[in-house]
Amino acid sequence: MNVVAKKPRTIPESSLIGTRIPKMDAPEKASGRTRYIHDINLSGQLYGKILRSARVHARIVAIDTSAAKALPGVHVVLTAADVPDQRPIGVARDHFPLKGDRVRSQRDEIAAVAAESEEIAAAALKLIKVVYEDLPVIADPEDAIKPGAPLLHPAPAGAQPAGATVAHRGKADNIAMRFDYAHGDVVQGEAESDVVIEDTFKLHYVTHCCMGVSGMIAEFDASGSLLMYSNTQVPFLHKREFAEYLNMDPARVRIIQPPIGGGFGSKLDIYPFEVICLFLARAARRPVKLVFSREEEFLASPTRQPVLLTLRSGCKKDGTLTFRQVHTLHDNGAYTSWGATTPFVMMQTFSSLYRVPHCDYHTVAVYTNNPYAGSFRGYGNLQATFAIEQQMDEMAAAIGMDPLAFRLKNAQHTGEVTGQGMEFKSCGFTDCLNTAAQRSDFSRKFADNAAERNQPGHLKRGIGMASMLHVGGGAKIYPSDGCGTILKMDDFANVTLITGASEIGQGSETVLSQLVCEELGLPISALTVVNNDTAITPWDVGVHASRTTFIAGNSAIGAAKKAKTKILAVAAQKFGCTAEELDLRGGCVIKAADGEVVTELSKLIRNLHFSDKAELVMTTFYYEPPSVHQGKDYKGDVSAAYAWATQVVEVEVDTDTGIVRMLKVTGAHDVGRVLNRLGIEGQVEGGIVMGQGYALTENLMIENGVMKNPNFRDYKLITAPEIPEMDVSFIESMDGEGPQGAKGIGEAPAICIAAATANAIANATGVRLYDLPFTPERVYRALHGQTPKLYWKPWVPAA
Amino acid sequence: MTELERYVAPTTLAAAIDCLKDGEVTILAGGTDLTPQTRAGRMRIKRTLMNIRRIPELKGIALDGGAIRIGALTTITEIMDSALIAKHLPVLVETCRHFASDQIRNAGTLGGNLCNASPAGDTAIPLLVLGASVELASKPEDKIYRRSIPLSEFFVGPGQTRRSLCELLTAVTVPLPAPGHVARFHKFGTRVGLDISTVSIGIGGTLKDGALAAARVAFGAVAATPLRAAQTEAALEGQRLDAAAIARIAAVARDEVHPIDDVRATAWYRKELIHNMTKRMLENVAQA
Repeated sequence: MNVVAKKPRTIPESSLIGTRIPKMDAPEKASGRTRYIHDINLSGQLYGKILRSARVHARIVAIDTSAAKALPGVHVVLTAADVPDQRPIGVARDHFPLKGDRVRSQRDEIAAVAAESEEIAAAALKLIKVVYEDLPVIADPEDAIKPGAPLLHPAPAGAQPAGATVAHRGKADNIAMRFDYAHGDVVQGEAESDVVIEDTFKLHYVTHCCMGVSGMIAEFDASGSLLMYSNTQVPFLHKREFAEYLNMDPARVRIIQPPIGGGFGSKLDIYPFEVICLFLARAARRPVKLVFSREEEFLASPTRQPVLLTLRSGCKKDGTLTFRQVHTLHDNGAYTSWGATTPFVMMQTFSSLYRVPHCDYHTVAVYTNNPYAGSFRGYGNLQATFAIEQQMDEMAAAIGMDPLAFRLKNAQHTGEVTGQGMEFKSCGFTDCLNTAAQRSDFSRKFADNAAERNQPGHLKRGIGMASMLHVGGGAKIYPSDGCGTILKMDDFANVTLITGASEIGQGSETVLSQLVCEELGLPISALTVVNNDTAITPWDVGVHASRTTFIAGNSAIGAAKKAKTKILAVAAQKFGCTAEELDLRGGCVIKAADGEVVTELSKLIRNLHFSDKAELVMTTFYYEPPSVHQGKDYKGDVSAAYAWATQVVEVEVDTDTGIVRMLKVTGAHDVGRVLNRLGIEGQVEGGIVMGQGYALTENLMIENGVMKNPNFRDYKLITAPEIPEMDVSFIESMDGEGPQGAKGIGEAPAICIAAATANAIANATGVRLYDLPFTPERVYRALHGQTPKLYWKPWVPAA
Repeated sequence: MTELERYVAPTTLAAAIDCLKDGEVTILAGGTDLTPQTRAGRMRIKRTLMNIRRIPELKGIALDGGAIRIGALTTITEIMDSALIAKHLPVLVETCRHFASDQIRNAGTLGGNLCNASPAGDTAIPLLVLGASVELASKPEDKIYRRSIPLSEFFVGPGQTRRSLCELLTAVTVPLPAPGHVARFHKFGTRVGLDISTVSIGIGGTLKDGALAAARVAFGAVAATPLRAAQTEAALEGQRLDAAAIARIAAVARDEVHPIDDVRATAWYRKELIHNMTKRMLENVAQA
């Protein structure tokens, strides 16, 4: 017998971290198989439609639904009178899904229909007669806070129960929310200043423009349990909230989220249409599908928070920042959603982007008859950064300092604890500034452009920079900011990762799989991710605040480590060694020292399962970041890590037309560590384009409470030919708490663009613009001296 | 749910015109404007919807004596791709490049764009500059009767033309430009395509010794209809295009238009654009 000794197989070390991994769901999406909510149909479903107000502000005198009810094919017609148990919804619980006595904005929901087809439902809406009595329209928040202004939410007649919400007890003024924050003493700061600058900035309405319009399908089963298909970004919190609105047990609510449609913050709140869809399904005892038209999507979706902001800042001659004082007037719209709470994020930028010893911040969010603002990628930070980064340039010019040098002098460093209590355990800000400046040749171009400004010719070149700080390790907005994971391994060493994290297009499935594969030495193809179903997945706060990679990533790693420990313990026992001598690599158990294969992992797992003492590799993990839920003074380390970025924008301004062309964006992002390079590039590039739209073209025009351009013809998104050249660098600061060192950056790339563009236009033309967007006419007017300097005198009514 | 009672798709011109006699007919060609307008409720489809796309006579681009005849059903893409148009009417090709998007250009027709009579309609501007006429066919008795009216007289107001309800626009005829003829089109917008004009400008004439003869100027989106600018044309006619003349002509152009404020721009800004862009175009002509 000829025996040949088998050569031991070894597997060299390798890592998936930082590689380019195509999104796992890309083939499905590219081939059109991924289902939007529109593509889902339940047998027996009815179609819901909503009758919205024909007036901006009016008392409802009478509603007649008799003709609509009589239309063949109509199953249910509801008004507020038909749902006496409806409860107030929204962040401040200040409105009812169906408005009964008064409409306060153009979007207001008056009645709803469920019918056998969309056409019948639409026809039924036309048959509903509403008699209005007009009320004065308050379209300007400055008018709304004047003493004696008509009240948007006056107290209703009769006594109301104590502790009732705004919707029940009304409000004695038009102030929806206020925020007051301070550290240090701005009076002292101003006294120490050599230069003080004050400007007013005006930020406009834009909206998310998700690829899929909003929609919901609701079905109650025979035992009264509710199944919802919804694009919500916070399924677990909303499960409880929807149950409250229906007065049912939250345990009987199940939410399935389609993985496509788009969120960008727009699905963080519950909106009337969702609750109305539930009411319709409950009344019809049939599934109801309610999907917006695109025009309705514009009219009835939240916007980014419009802000009027006066910022006063100072510095010393040597470039040291001394103080900032900020007053903002937030147009809250008719009802309160998350937009009103953007000061949570805005004040972080003012207090902590740079080292500033004295900071004073005030926001008043005021009810008007305008559309209401919600959360939107960046959450107030685009607005705050627009103001602060323009003033950084202005102050640098006032003391004759290069804008880069001025920023470097005041930039935060690792180890800093800010006045607001944020701790920068990893901070690549200085690297961001230097990298973006060097790669764009910022300082030379900045000087050259300024020198060439008055040369003949209608095309002027400009370069501008802006930087940002944003939460990168979740945000403890709620008492918990955690996420759960269940991990199980089958007989063939394939892993099913059941995660609380919602996949709404951002690429979480791929990055979570990557992190698990890294721990378990498996190829990406071994992973299946199960998500987006509250009946299956463990709890998670939601997909927002750039938190998924960080929080769900750490959670997935935790579950994978537990699985690895279990596997290695079994292997050690079987092969007579210690677990420390073994590792997992290439789908095998290997010797840690030299990579020699001990056994195939699938074989080991099968042995484990097919025995009379069977054990399963099935683990769970719950990750809660070491961050702090801020107190009433808004102080505390709200995130486990912070992301930084500097973006340099280069523009060409046509002084004959006011057209601003964005030529190039050079970005440097402190991302902690690059996990999936392909994914993070896509995230940053997409964010830059969103920022470009905010800066240049997108503008939801509201006149006297009426939206003038609810369509893509006149609401201009950026199209492909306008997208600038991009040069993006990643600064790897290796965050100690982050998964493999990474930070969350979902929101970061959109934040700086408008501010950097403003600085670039000023560099090109010598004219500074304080209000967005930089549409050709606005720029042209400013260039031709047709724009009076904005000034809003902060007026803060007594608390 | 709609008042639409009848859909017809005639294959001959005669049958189509017969159908029009009903008076309550909506004509469907490319459908690129009809579909969104009716879906948004801004336009109502009448009792009969008539699809004219199966009528061969309405198609094709041909040299016909001293003129180019472009069938009403010719799509914007077909104009862009036509060697005949490129050779004789290059400004029309230039215009079509700025027309909406590929998808819309593939479906949208020249006849539809003109009958739509948008003040911001793109093709009207170069056609006005080229002195085009539209051919309208009707059938009062047994025979088809055709009349031709200059495009400059065709538009009456937004969405309104001199086409009567019983007429069909069958073709656009464009006289062959004289040798040495130059023409340019400018559409103001921040996008390459998919933009509705804030203003558009067409300028044409025969260039000789640095001056334009038989000058024609047309403006879009500054009045209720696309229009010929008579005063600007008079100021331009035969003038050597030096800096002073260009400044003077641009000022005339600014004063000649009376635009309105809308969501796309204010009247003031439109007048500024007319001035600045007319100036820029004439500078280009002078340098040519």
